[in-house]
Amino acid sequence: MVKRFSLTPYLFLTPALIAIAVFVLFPIGAVFYYSFTDYDIVTPPVWIGLENYLKLAQDPVFWKALSHSLVYLIVTPTLIVLSIALAIVINRNLRGIHVFRALYYIPAVSGTIAIGIAWRWLFDAQGGLINGVLVWLGVLQEPLQWLAEPAYTLPIAMLMTIWMGVGYYAMIFLAGLQNIPEELYDAALIDGATDLQKHWYVSVPGLRPQIVFVFVISSLAALKVFEEILVLTNRTGGILDSGVTMVFYLWRQAFRLSHAGYASAVAIALLILTLAFSVFNVRFLERGIEAD
Amino acid sequence: MRSKMLVVVAIVSVIALTLAGCGATPAPVVSTVVVQQTVPVKETVVVTQEVEKTVVQTVQVEVPVTATPLPNPEAVIEGVEPDAEIGFWTFWLSPTFDDYIKSTIARFQEAYPGVKVNWEDHQATFQDDLRNSFAAGNAPDVINLSVSEGWVSDYATKGLLLNLDDAVPQSVKDIYFPGLWKEQLVDGKNYQFPWYEGINVELINKQIYDQTGLKVEDFPKTVDGLPALCKTIKEKTNTLCDIRLTVNDLLAQMVYEGNVKVISDDGKTFTFDSPEAVEWLQMYVDMVKDGTVDKTVLTAEQDRTGLDLFTTGKAAFYQTGPNLIREVRANNPGLYGYLAVVPAPVGKSGVLGKGLMGISVKNDTKFPNASIALAQFFTNPKSMLEFSKLVAIYPSTPASYDDPFFSTPPTAIEDSARPIAKDIVSKYADIVPFIPNKADVNQVVLDAVQQAIFNDVPAQQALTDAVTKANAFLQ
Repeated sequence: MVKRFSLTPYLFLTPALIAIAVFVLFPIGAVFYYSFTDYDIVTPPVWIGLENYLKLAQDPVFWKALSHSLVYLIVTPTLIVLSIALAIVINRNLRGIHVFRALYYIPAVSGTIAIGIAWRWLFDAQGGLINGVLVWLGVLQEPLQWLAEPAYTLPIAMLMTIWMGVGYYAMIFLAGLQNIPEELYDAALIDGATDLQKHWYVSVPGLRPQIVFVFVISSLAALKVFEEILVLTNRTGGILDSGVTMVFYLWRQAFRLSHAGYASAVAIALLILTLAFSVFNVRFLERGIEAD
Repeated sequence: MRSKMLVVVAIVSVIALTLAGCGATPAPVVSTVVVQQTVPVKETVVVTQEVEKTVVQTVQVEVPVTATPLPNPEAVIEGVEPDAEIGFWTFWLSPTFDDYIKSTIARFQEAYPGVKVNWEDHQATFQDDLRNSFAAGNAPDVINLSVSEGWVSDYATKGLLLNLDDAVPQSVKDIYFPGLWKEQLVDGKNYQFPWYEGINVELINKQIYDQTGLKVEDFPKTVDGLPALCKTIKEKTNTLCDIRLTVNDLLAQMVYEGNVKVISDDGKTFTFDSPEAVEWLQMYVDMVKDGTVDKTVLTAEQDRTGLDLFTTGKAAFYQTGPNLIREVRANNPGLYGYLAVVPAPVGKSGVLGKGLMGISVKNDTKFPNASIALAQFFTNPKSMLEFSKLVAIYPSTPASYDDPFFSTPPTAIEDSARPIAKDIVSKYADIVPFIPNKADVNQVVLDAVQQAIFNDVPAQQALTDAVTKANAFLQ
């Protein structure tokens, strides 16, 4: 049996491949090249070999940014747990449930910048809602300057990411829940399972493909967090770099300090990290699915 | 019968008007252009009774045109390239000043016929857009750059701007205040036409300030009076002071406020760990420790953060330009009635301030003369005066102040600095020396300042460490 070569599938693939080449592969190649140069965007790059990478290895702010990005990954399991819980709640046939589903989804369709500004008002030192409530409850003696406290910068940004993402991921889990056969819940009930056991033994295993998907995309999003930091810290990265993450540091180096070559080296480091993370995620978690 | 008479009268009228037009042609015409004009003609026709009616007729009128236009007094640049098409970018002026910009461009095109101007206004992303456009090779020919933020020296150092000292005749340079023309020189050369200037004032919210028992007239005259004032405000009103470190240019703030010598005369070592520098930094450390300042505003990158706090009525005072009072008026009209304005406190340098905005020309523009002409036109006395009438900004050209507009007593609070503006602007000077790798050095200084203010590192140690790090950028 001789396989006949057909050009048709390649013709269909060509537009997409061209788009990927132009908008993904070429920029990655260019950034890789710039990472070996001294480049300030406005004047031509100058080849300096491995200098940017050697400097990166000794740069304490880079390591701080890397550690902040890794800490930010705490967002992922938190998001998964909260989103599944929310999906279970809104999976009920209650009157007006569609309204609630829409309300929870609003943050997903709102701009990060707008949400960030709203969150800045919430945490405002003078007149912010959070301070108002805490002072009224007697938890605080006087208003706290939340966004000017280095210890709170990252947690507030993470909280904002979770708040923005929970409605979106809940919709994914909701779709998954609605695909789980009702008979499985009936069987669990007959076996005497409580509500919690029913979800632990039926819903969670049934949602495994969605959990893998959400784990991968939300952890990659967490590693690449930028807008939340930019808005909440007023473009400064926080006092004492308390909110500086990998992408924020890359942006600062490229566009504030005009070190596009050095920023490219940071970008390549981030690319390697996200690539390794994605491969690990997919291999590890998909193995679990196959075992099921 | 009646219609025949009408036709005859109309024909006679047309012939008479045409002949009259020919007879009125002036003698010293070099060339003649015939144009069509529609002229309403009133005529009286006698029939059985007198009826007055209007007949619209098309007649030919000869208009005299001289071969070369009369010299336009605003056209001071020679050799403007015919049919030049130039790009012009402004910073954060649209849509408020669209009409002004467009009408000025129209006037420019009357003064320099044949030059086409493509105007764009860029706002929050101005710097990013400009860098990208230089990288892509399509940067605008004429660019509105901030002098106060050091953008002119940043781009001039990279060889991207045109040296105006060599390209502009002395008679044109003399149009501007000498101090403003000589601001921000790079290797002794100027790269900007000084444009609109600001005068820093303290806006005071009397609703809060009056609770302190202090008088507005007694507002500190010098920067070192601010810590005591902030302490009083905190104690009496429980509000925080709305003051700002210029985190993008801390060395300049050190120089103006603390009279700090930041770099040695030979430019080989930084010197911003002197007792004057430590004293300057310690002032801010103490204010933060006393809990009298809003730390978010103190470390904010943008002036708008502090202005927003003031506009929402949560701060007793804020230092900014009178031109931004319009923001308060627009966003919180209730506060506008409680505003007072006093001169901004002066630092230990005694220098009132430096220029605000300039207009520069791209070094490799295809149309250098047309670009210089546009930059000069926008900064000429007439254009500056018209701009000043729209918003509380101040011209860089002494001649603008001769207009009665500047001697008329102000009525609105926005205009309170107008009568003293010429005196203040004429004394502006950039006393900050040229700093190589300024953005990197500033980042080092920012880190040191934050370590001292927020991490309990002694001010002296923080600055000495910063000097060591910054010196590496001079190697």
